[in-house]
Amino acid sequence: MTKHVLELTDLSIDFPTARGVVHAVTKLSLKIRPGIRVGFIGESGSGKTTTALSVMRMLGGSGRVASGAIQLGETDMLALSEEEMRLTRLSRVSYIPQGAMNSLNPIMRIENQIWDGIIAHEGKTDAAELKRRSDACLESVGLPARTGRLYPHELSGGMKQRVCIALGVSLNPELIIADEPTSALDVVTQRHVMQTLKDVQARIGSGLILIGHDMGLMAQSVDELAVLKDGVLVEHGSVQQILEAPEHPYTKQLISSVPLVGGESFLDDEVGAAPVKRGKEGVPLLEFKAVSKIYGDVTALHPMSFALDGEKPKIISIVGQSGSGKSTMGSLMLGFNPPSAGQVLFEGEDIAKHSAAERLEFRKSVQAVFQDPYACFNPFYRVDHALKFPYKRFGLAQSEAEVAAKMLEACEAVGLDGQLILRRFPHELSGGQRQRLIVARALMLEPKLLIADEPVSMVDASLRATILKNIYDLKDRYGISILYITHDLATAYHVSDYVMVLYHGHVVEAGPPKQVIGDPQHPYTQMLIEAIPWPDLGRDWGHADEAEDAARLAEIARSTETVIRGEVPGFVLS
Amino acid sequence: MTDTTDNPQTGEANAAPVSRFNRFDNPWFNPKLLWGAGILLVIILGGIIGRMVWDTDLVFTGSTPLKLPPLGFENLRRQEGVAEFPLGTDGAGRDMLAMLIIGTPNTLMIGAIASIIGMSLGIFLGFSAGFVGGRVDDTIRVLSDVMITIPPLLILVVFQSAFGDVSLVMMAFLIAGFMWQSPTRLIRAQVLSMKRSGYVQMAQLSGASTFHIMFKEMLPNLIPYLFGSFIANVTTAIVTAVGLEVLGLGPQRIPTLGRVIYDAINSGALIQNLWWWWGLPTMLLATMFIALLLINLGLDEVSNPRLRKI
Repeated sequence: MTKHVLELTDLSIDFPTARGVVHAVTKLSLKIRPGIRVGFIGESGSGKTTTALSVMRMLGGSGRVASGAIQLGETDMLALSEEEMRLTRLSRVSYIPQGAMNSLNPIMRIENQIWDGIIAHEGKTDAAELKRRSDACLESVGLPARTGRLYPHELSGGMKQRVCIALGVSLNPELIIADEPTSALDVVTQRHVMQTLKDVQARIGSGLILIGHDMGLMAQSVDELAVLKDGVLVEHGSVQQILEAPEHPYTKQLISSVPLVGGESFLDDEVGAAPVKRGKEGVPLLEFKAVSKIYGDVTALHPMSFALDGEKPKIISIVGQSGSGKSTMGSLMLGFNPPSAGQVLFEGEDIAKHSAAERLEFRKSVQAVFQDPYACFNPFYRVDHALKFPYKRFGLAQSEAEVAAKMLEACEAVGLDGQLILRRFPHELSGGQRQRLIVARALMLEPKLLIADEPVSMVDASLRATILKNIYDLKDRYGISILYITHDLATAYHVSDYVMVLYHGHVVEAGPPKQVIGDPQHPYTQMLIEAIPWPDLGRDWGHADEAEDAARLAEIARSTETVIRGEVPGFVLS
Repeated sequence: MTDTTDNPQTGEANAAPVSRFNRFDNPWFNPKLLWGAGILLVIILGGIIGRMVWDTDLVFTGSTPLKLPPLGFENLRRQEGVAEFPLGTDGAGRDMLAMLIIGTPNTLMIGAIASIIGMSLGIFLGFSAGFVGGRVDDTIRVLSDVMITIPPLLILVVFQSAFGDVSLVMMAFLIAGFMWQSPTRLIRAQVLSMKRSGYVQMAQLSGASTFHIMFKEMLPNLIPYLFGSFIANVTTAIVTAVGLEVLGLGPQRIPTLGRVIYDAINSGALIQNLWWWWGLPTMLLATMFIALLLINLGLDEVSNPRLRKI
């Protein structure tokens, strides 16, 4: 009688590809006891999902278990036939996928999808019995039984994720594998969903593997942590032990790369020479005059006015959940989208009324870093095209040699070796390298204003701090004012001079970060900060009541007042 | 399942496949594409070299004895094939080899011209619809949707019979009128999805002109699609052209493969067991289609790396 629900011994997984065999996981050994939650943490490509999928024997493509053993309870998973494996999935080990949005069948009612699983394992079952079980299942994850009659598109993201959990636990498995179950949800919903998952798991007493990359979320949700790097298990122990006394340097790096509100700054305050004064005298660099944006019958942005002057470069953060209107603001500023009402002025001129020549000048002055570093490079060209083309287009280039030197210099400033990287194609670079190249591009063009729209949300955690540091340096060294759009309060706290918290197109709270994020006054800001999972065991995530939270949000949506928490010179919000 | 080779060894073993697969690293060198292009090239070269070494005047009526079989065969009248006319002759005294040498390139040319015109129209309309949007998009989309539902052969039969004897180029133009709809739709869809992509936004930020965005940023990424669509269109155009010719609606004085088949059917070649008369052009057409299909499959692999085998 083993007391482990899952035992992995010397597990190695290979993916044969045209370029040779990729060792996705090497010699991984791990034991999971029943009722214990284990977190798999590591960067993308570290083999977390691959390991979990190998337990389900659902490796994609050409992947195969090269050596080692997978033991679920008493069963050797690798020795099972296809049919036995089919019966094992869901009934003994279940998988809760990452994107719940895409995991449910859009043309089936929720309860039918739960019934499918039961029938596939237990054969023909009485309809009343099925109904009873699906209702119980849904209720166990905190959804009303009538949800079963609905179709997936009628549910919110958090509800869909819960339905996926309900599906996963419908047959009381011994092991639940949850693959980043909350990565697509905002912080408030994330907390609710994680609580549901923990409750259900504790009730049926199964083991849980939680895959993720967020140290804070892990600290609040699991008992043991397994740290993976490049397919190797580098450290495994209780959360407490790993958080308080990490042994492996990689674990230390992972923990230290999490920015904390009120914690130590990851930026060095060493300020270089005073930045050159940029921009026209007397007129604000960027001004919103009662700007609003309406899409159909949805108001993305309520009338908003502010003025940012370019006297002294600043970083203004715009913080909010998805749908708060923060990206709409970004595209309004870039002139990609005309406002529904009001004017966006750049150096006193309405950007909607620019002539072709003025528009080129405006483009030169206002640059952006976007969220997705994978999409920002044209796959047809080598990456230097993205740097060279605008430089020449804006008439900054003097000669080919000068362009090349300038590119190398810009790469060096963001910590990349230009000699090595510039002649490559985009798919040969990692996300972090690409995002840094985009920062290098902005640096080369020396705009007056940079719009950074979630610049690090798709980059691995360990690189986030570096890239933010690069962006931060732009402000001091090159005198570039920056609008930092993000959902991450902790980074906003550190980099910005002024923070605006957006909810449903309204600014709910604004002021210097020490006040707004360090000591929030508005209930919405308070709620956001409460919901951040802390990588600190002493700080409890608390128990959020979902109905209460929903009522609070509805209350917040009704009122439109803004709590102003102080001013910084050069930025006026009205 | 549990293979217990130790790691250094597997590492060594991996080195070999890497170099072996290297030559497939360039997706344009995939075997399907090479075979398809090779076969097509042989057919085209046959046409070119044939014109140099063979007497093309033999395509005229009565220039040879009637209904001679290919070399090494006998016809119903117990006549043996002669080396002078190695592929035999038809019922009107025309040399089969000369007809194929002249006819095959003509058929391919109709396909190519129709396809090039159709594609150019498609690129232009697709980009306009996708990029300009609004009314322009509505008009182009509705127009191409309506045109897709109309069977081309029906309209072409009416046209051709109204025109009487048409030239090759004229015929290609008529067919091209039915070749632009699907590239238009394809390119419009691609442009719409690319317009939202990060690199197009980046190019806009770089102050790129619309022309630059369309032709320098978007078009290069469409090349494999365009090639694929072009080849598919050549096939469709040839099928349409041959269909019309077999109905006797093609050019009357210029030999094409379809025309040869039309003559064969009309003169009762099937009953008289003159198999070489209709069989040889049919075989050539089939080879041509297989070559085009192979090219298309190869191009699919170029544009969609997931189809590539290891």
